[in-house]
Amino acid sequence: MSDAALDLPRQKRLTGRRPDARIFVTSVLLAAFCVVWIYPFVWMISTSLKSNAEMFGNPGLIPQSFAWENYSRAWVEANMGRYFLNTLIVTVGSVVIVTFCTALTGYVLGRYRFPGRNAILLAFVCTVFIPQGFTIIPVFELLSALGLSTNLLGLTLATSGHAMVVFVVLFAGYFSQLPKELEEAAQVEGVTFLQIFWYIMLPLARPMVVTVVIMQVLHAWNDFLLPLVITLANPAIRTLSVGIYAFKGEQFIDWTGMAAAATISIVPVVVLFIALQRYFINGLAGAVKG
Amino acid sequence: MRKVTRARLGRREFLMGSAAGAAMLSLKGTAGLAQTVQPPINSIPKGATFRWVDSGDQKAVFFKKFFADYAADRGIEVIYDPLPWNEIAKVVPLGVRNGTAHDVFVTPRNVSLADAVAQGWVQPYDEFIPNIEEWKANFPAGAFLPGINEFEGKTYGLPFTSNKRYGTHLLYNKQYVADAGFDPEAKPLTQSEFREAARKITEAGQGRYFGFILGGSQLNRWAQSVRNLARMAGASAGGDSVLDADIDLRTGEYVFDSDAYIAAIELLIAMRDDGSFFPGLMNLNAPQARAYMPQGAAGMILQGPWNIPSWEGQNPDFDFGVSSGPVPDSGPVGKLTISQGGAAPNTISLFSGSENGAIAGDIFHYLGTLEGQTAWANIVGAGDPPIMPEAVAQADMSPRSKQILELFNDQIRVGPNPIVRNGDLAKVIGTFVAPDVNFARTVQGLVAGELTDVPGEMKKLSDNYNASLDAAFAAATAEGAKVDRADLVFTNWNPDVDFAASDY
Amino acid sequence: MQLSQTLYRYRYQYLMLVPGLILAGMFVFYPIFAAVYYAMHDWSGFNADMVFVGLGNFATLFSDPIFWDAFGRSLLFLVGTVPAQLVLSLILAVILNNQLLKLSTTFRTMIFLPVVTPVAVIGIIWTFLLSPFNGPINGLLLNIGLITRPIDFLGSSDTVMPSVIGVYVWKWLGITLIYWLAALQTVPSDVYDAAKLDNCKGGRLIWHVILPIILPFAVAILLISSVAALNVFPLIMSMTNGGPFFGSEVMEIFIYRTAFATEDGSIPRLGYAAAAGVFFGVIMLALTILQSLATRRARRSTQEAGHE
Repeated sequence: MSDAALDLPRQKRLTGRRPDARIFVTSVLLAAFCVVWIYPFVWMISTSLKSNAEMFGNPGLIPQSFAWENYSRAWVEANMGRYFLNTLIVTVGSVVIVTFCTALTGYVLGRYRFPGRNAILLAFVCTVFIPQGFTIIPVFELLSALGLSTNLLGLTLATSGHAMVVFVVLFAGYFSQLPKELEEAAQVEGVTFLQIFWYIMLPLARPMVVTVVIMQVLHAWNDFLLPLVITLANPAIRTLSVGIYAFKGEQFIDWTGMAAAATISIVPVVVLFIALQRYFINGLAGAVKG
Repeated sequence: MRKVTRARLGRREFLMGSAAGAAMLSLKGTAGLAQTVQPPINSIPKGATFRWVDSGDQKAVFFKKFFADYAADRGIEVIYDPLPWNEIAKVVPLGVRNGTAHDVFVTPRNVSLADAVAQGWVQPYDEFIPNIEEWKANFPAGAFLPGINEFEGKTYGLPFTSNKRYGTHLLYNKQYVADAGFDPEAKPLTQSEFREAARKITEAGQGRYFGFILGGSQLNRWAQSVRNLARMAGASAGGDSVLDADIDLRTGEYVFDSDAYIAAIELLIAMRDDGSFFPGLMNLNAPQARAYMPQGAAGMILQGPWNIPSWEGQNPDFDFGVSSGPVPDSGPVGKLTISQGGAAPNTISLFSGSENGAIAGDIFHYLGTLEGQTAWANIVGAGDPPIMPEAVAQADMSPRSKQILELFNDQIRVGPNPIVRNGDLAKVIGTFVAPDVNFARTVQGLVAGELTDVPGEMKKLSDNYNASLDAAFAAATAEGAKVDRADLVFTNWNPDVDFAASDY
Repeated sequence: MQLSQTLYRYRYQYLMLVPGLILAGMFVFYPIFAAVYYAMHDWSGFNADMVFVGLGNFATLFSDPIFWDAFGRSLLFLVGTVPAQLVLSLILAVILNNQLLKLSTTFRTMIFLPVVTPVAVIGIIWTFLLSPFNGPINGLLLNIGLITRPIDFLGSSDTVMPSVIGVYVWKWLGITLIYWLAALQTVPSDVYDAAKLDNCKGGRLIWHVILPIILPFAVAILLISSVAALNVFPLIMSMTNGGPFFGSEVMEIFIYRTAFATEDGSIPRLGYAAAAGVFFGVIMLALTILQSLATRRARRSTQEAGHE
């Protein structure tokens, strides 16, 4: 302690300049790190603008002439347009379903004690980590039995069902830490159960809702095995992930078209993340805390 | 095997595809349609949706064009899904299970048509083709066979392409191979020359190109390459079903540990050690590997005839040659054996739940006429040659395609088909489960260096397959099939000549 | 009587549970029971021949070296990815959490970019980047003289697992980073001031000051990351298909391959695949319980520390 005290005047003198220098150096180092980090994307975009012949001949990142037709080819001939729309439908649909179902369930489980609550909560917690690989067959069987195994509704439902458990647990945790007085005050006012949930609790859970929305979007956008199996019998409802994989299988010759297709598939999520990242981090902070 | 499908038609194929070439283009419209689409043989319900799935590739070039014209003419919608084999293996069974299968499909590689019939996946199409016997008589003898595509007197499969081809002949970059001092067109390369050529090409390439490429992540490429190298070196293995492909049908025993098989694997390993393999070959699938050839990245590939129309269409500047697969250094060149009948992987059937039998019958009928067969040959060429030799003769094919078909005539013989003699064997095929580490994986493992002892591994493989086969026979017998391993023995078979119906 | 009273008393609660329970019942609970049922049968999945074999599939499983190899690879994957992912992202998080760093948001976004990219795309890009033929990474290594021959990263069993592990860490580091950043926001700023006074910085600051505060988060993050690391199907599928020669066949690929066998001569063995899945699921469950016990303990100890 005494050493530090002795150092104090010197340190004070330096605080004016040295942290700035440190920040600068850190920034430069981080910038270098990040450039390396996203190099694969730079390379992908560069490749998406080269011709197939140039891709082999020119290792540089700047294409000689910009082959924009790769994009039109990926969009039209590889059906990226349709896959894009499919993915969008599945994503939006599953986000709505998941948010609605998990918020309700999480709210009830997190804030009320009632017979059966612990059993249900336990069941949810235990199944959080069941790998998808082994439930895929029964899921498919079930969808077949319901006549949903070859359409987008079935895919949307199954995409919603798979990841929901985690969100229920997250919601339950979040709601349980909100102050008790909220409902008590409301009940005095004579507000109904549903109204409490809708007008008081849900708005309070906004960070958590945003988190769930983003995580579900990421899940739906990244999901692979489920759409792969469900779209097998009906390629018309393929999602982007599966479409790109199929692209690889059947038409690998068109490298640059594939790079263009890949670029198309990541743009929307990147935009979404940049727009919502503040909410995302705050929401997660709240969620992990609970 | 998984082949490539291209959504984009090359300009040249497009011209070839539109009936009779450029001259016809001006007539396109109603007159043009009348040329390609024959009048219907059945009454076709307007507005129907008809779905078809097969393994695509060069076939897709034909079907995409044909179905477009056909749908327009008949006033229906046709959905054509060319899929790789590993997807067909899931799409078809899943579709059958939940009643949403395509109207017409190919059976997955691991399900024989006999199996599919027994499981109720498919229905006969006799009633959808008027005078079907007359139509069937146009096919070459042996196209329709009980136990293969006919069951209990009904017709289930359409054998419209020929089985007479193999998928591991040599395709090479003429410049590179000539620079290495070889001319495979004049004289097929021996195994040693093949290795030497690969080494020299790699040396000349100095890292820019390499001697040999193959779709090494696709296991069946390894199995087929070794099998055919060995067959040419005298390992007379049998037919081409999963059951008997590596059995010598004269003795009924597996030949995995024969000298010829071991030598073939050791050849590949030696080439790997020479550094002649295209780098990253283990992680390429067949379409990827094929695509590197016209880019000049590799000198030689062992692949099938479907590459020819594909490269000629997409890479017209690529100067490549075709020739026999590597032959043994000394001694006679063994013949390759195929089963009688059409090419099993292309044999299509009608889904049992399909209500569009009339449409299927209409299309099947066309594919089984000389017009249809010729139109097919004009586009698909040597890739999947039509089953009628007359169609091959009058088709407009490239010199390379004609050359390879001649080679096939010379190198391929029809072998005995055990199922023809005893239909109950279909049950054995249905229950046969190859060992987990099967032939293809073992070869890949040996060539990748994961496994080292070639004779030891191949002996183990032989034992494992024998155990699997015995188990399959036992299971089939338990289910009431009258089968015995002696059913796989044809003492009168000479691999050098066709095995005729009278030889059974 | 008692039951209906209970039901009536909590009618809103039960009613609100219905949508979630239906969804979970269909896609979470039912499939688990179905899988257990399949696991006790010899069944290809594609026809009606379903033979009850009891625990026979499990017996076969335990004597199947390919299964154990796949199991081992899954564990290797876990050990290879999670610690690297957690440590690297924590270091980055501490740096990015610095209020003075103006570009922090930009850096964060860049690091997060792989997370939002579909795995199938990642697989394709990295297959190119790692290619021994004209691949940029081999090109770089050759140019700076580190190697003399291109390395076949994905085609040789020595390098395939490290390569896939590396790509996985790259892909998911961003999400762990966000978790850490969220955790760091709960650290009161006076803690930093106090640390500064104590001249405590760098690794010591993280280890002695910050880590104890965010320990409950750390356990949760560890849990989430561990489980994610066992669900690597799409990445490996799109990069190597499990090859070469089983070289990257983890549990999920094993299950998929046995359930949907497509090779010549192989028959899908859904019952067997389900048995592998059930076994794997039980292990995962054990892991979960273990970790949640650890969380509880960690929480209790920090709470006690707080009370002191």
